[in-house]
Amino acid sequence: MRPIRLACGVAAALLATACAATGTTTQPSTGPQAEVEPGYLAVADDALPSGGTLNLQVHIDSGAATGYDPQLADVATTWQLLSLAYETLVTVGPDFSVQPLLAEKWETPSPTEYVFHLREDVSFSNGRKMTADDVVGSFERLLASKSVWRGQLGAVKSVTKDGDHTVKVTLKEPYTPFLAALANVPAAVLPMKEINDKSVDPATTLLGTGPYVVKDHRQDVSWTFKRNEKYWAKGKPAADTLNITIAPEEAARVAALQNGSAALATLGNVDSAGMLAGAGDVKVVTQATTDFYYLMLNTKAPASKFADPKVRQAIAIALDQRQIADIALGGKGEPSAVTPAGLPGACDPAALPSASKGIDDAKRLLAEAGAQNLTFTLSIYSTQPAPAVAQVIQQNLQQAGITVKIEQMDEAGWSGKVYGKAPAEFDAALSWFAGYADPGMVTKWWNPEEAGFNVGFMTPDKELNALIDAAGKEPAGAAREKALAAVCAKADADAQMIPLVTRPATVAFRTDALSPSLYSTEGYGNVLRLVADARVKKSQ
Amino acid sequence: MRLLMWWSGRALSSAATLLGVSVLIFAAVRLMPGGFAETVLGPFATAEQKAELATRYGLDQPVFMQYGHWLGTVAGGDFGISMISRQPVGAELLARLPVTAELSLLAVAVSVLAGVPLGVLTAVRARPGGGGAAGRLLSGLGVSVPEFVLGSLVVFVFSRYALGLEVGAWVPLTQDPARNLATMVLPAAVLSVFAVSVTARTTRDAVMGVLVEPYVTAAVGRGESPWFIVRHHILRNAAAPVVTLLGTITAYLLGGALIVEHVFNLPGVGSYIVQAVGRRDYAVVQAGVLLAAGVFIVMNVVIDLLVGVLDPRLGVTAGRRS
Repeated sequence: MRPIRLACGVAAALLATACAATGTTTQPSTGPQAEVEPGYLAVADDALPSGGTLNLQVHIDSGAATGYDPQLADVATTWQLLSLAYETLVTVGPDFSVQPLLAEKWETPSPTEYVFHLREDVSFSNGRKMTADDVVGSFERLLASKSVWRGQLGAVKSVTKDGDHTVKVTLKEPYTPFLAALANVPAAVLPMKEINDKSVDPATTLLGTGPYVVKDHRQDVSWTFKRNEKYWAKGKPAADTLNITIAPEEAARVAALQNGSAALATLGNVDSAGMLAGAGDVKVVTQATTDFYYLMLNTKAPASKFADPKVRQAIAIALDQRQIADIALGGKGEPSAVTPAGLPGACDPAALPSASKGIDDAKRLLAEAGAQNLTFTLSIYSTQPAPAVAQVIQQNLQQAGITVKIEQMDEAGWSGKVYGKAPAEFDAALSWFAGYADPGMVTKWWNPEEAGFNVGFMTPDKELNALIDAAGKEPAGAAREKALAAVCAKADADAQMIPLVTRPATVAFRTDALSPSLYSTEGYGNVLRLVADARVKKSQ
Repeated sequence: MRLLMWWSGRALSSAATLLGVSVLIFAAVRLMPGGFAETVLGPFATAEQKAELATRYGLDQPVFMQYGHWLGTVAGGDFGISMISRQPVGAELLARLPVTAELSLLAVAVSVLAGVPLGVLTAVRARPGGGGAAGRLLSGLGVSVPEFVLGSLVVFVFSRYALGLEVGAWVPLTQDPARNLATMVLPAAVLSVFAVSVTARTTRDAVMGVLVEPYVTAAVGRGESPWFIVRHHILRNAAAPVVTLLGTITAYLLGGALIVEHVFNLPGVGSYIVQAVGRRDYAVVQAGVLLAAGVFIVMNVVIDLLVGVLDPRLGVTAGRRS
């Protein structure tokens, strides 16, 4: 009988543990994350000594066939890692204001001219001083490349230097997001002398002006960064060494935080905060981001079910974004229009035409389009919270008599289905965009002629494209907000890509091991943006 | 001459098996939904970038030509280049092999140290109502609970109650043996649960089969001690099926390591292959599967030789049995 008692005891213990965990699951909360200072979730304690080793864990490595070339990096996870070694002329502050970085100041003599005055004390990590030639060369290389970020810079007419520390950029037409676009990793200043003489290949070697240099990298296993001894900002970086472990399994990251082997980790599952609730030395914070989920409706497939705009509008009306945010994202996300919620000047999603209509309007539109018994397949990838978002969409649309079949795939299968062919072979799909730091930037992806990647499922709308361009030219202020509102309304009516809710980032760190700085909001998905400020309390 | 024939036959059948596996895996990765270009380059990639990538890795060639080229390079010891890391696959496999080998050896050690005594004990003490039901229940659970379920449960439990063991913080054996062991114990334990159950069950059946042999009855009649009988008469004669099973399990554990390494975030061959499958990194998946097939083949040869040592009647040079 003893083995049976033992087995029952083990089972009971496991059940009790599981039940205890269930009890600590966080409840949906729609309130903002508490800030320690305006714009900050955490501020590093400067009184703590510098030095030490900081152990971090993230869920994914930079992994593209384009290698480490910052100009070709197109996903936030890669930007995050490359930002440790590379820097841009300007950066983004806690309120999305553009602030100096490698350029200590700049002037805009006219709406199409930007004159950047470079810091004179900046060196690359190989010791060579950064010059205006590096900045001009980096611009020219980016503009001549196949980088998707070219489109975000606007129409650049010329880039010239005026001495060793001044660079002038002239645009063909005014473009308000220009500075915000310069604040991201693809616009980093590269060591052009070394690239041109082929002593450095940026696809395989990281050589920048940033706070850290790469000591070791094993793909999908780990990165080790050492402080850049030539770094220009005095007293930074605070930590001598960064060990970044790539841990795809969320439970393993949670465990590493619990047992102290990681001082900070990024989390993806909204329930992970609950799993860490019992850990006294672990603080979990939610960083709002401008990234947002959106629903793609394929209008280019043969005999598309969404060719009629009324069908697409009916779907937009039937979706309850608040419900998606509350249920699928644990109350952490916010409904968004095509201009990301949270950015200054962004549209109010509640003011969109679809937001003022109800289920009856959706049913009427479907009836007018002869699509009363609409059934379609929604293709999603299996990473949470995409399945949860899809389930709420399914339930929302059921209210309008629309049947949604959810097709869950791994990310590779999903990518192939959505982006592999033109016309694409899916009915509807779920994805998310990085929202960037200016409300006009991501709207460019609503123009398939500009974006390219959505040409397989999205039909260009000339009127919408013209509105997007017009909003880009308007200087910040009331006129631009009005222009952006027009973009939002038109995109809402077009409804080929329907914005849903923002995609917050969950970050957990050990308060006994680390004193980090974290912005409350982030536009480029870079949780490690302020890691050079982080103070190590004890090395793990 | 018989030995030469045996080795020749084994070499031929091994080569044919590897060739078959190579065809299957080469075709399978290309039949998986989702293209390498969209995955490796991301959605923003242009058609030109996708074409460049295909050219760089020879993926624009007809499939049979790609296969021929790959087979030729593999035969020369070159497993190709990872499309993700742009590093040689062979070097990365070698770098990761120690982790998987350590994990598998620990799991095999647990299987032998726990499974064999458990099997002998339950066989020797077998009697009606003597705990056989409980043993079968535990054995059934051990065999039927998948590694990803047990692994996730263990990760969760030990992340709350560490008990001196670490999850999610692997360190190399050469860097800190004690911490390395602390991070390897739990994954090895999870990986060994299936093997312990099967080993115990097989050992029990084998021992019970030997227990009824006349030479055991004679040994008891001679007044030999139970431990002497177990060691000299029972274990040796019951060893062949257990050794065969352990050999198969050792190779099987490599498959289990795919999941366990992923769940526990261990940088071994298993997690390398899992990540490669997710990213359609063809060269890595093909090399990993071929390596696993090679291990299976080598283990089978080792088993045959070992069984021959333990019981010459079953050895590779033994005469044909009627």
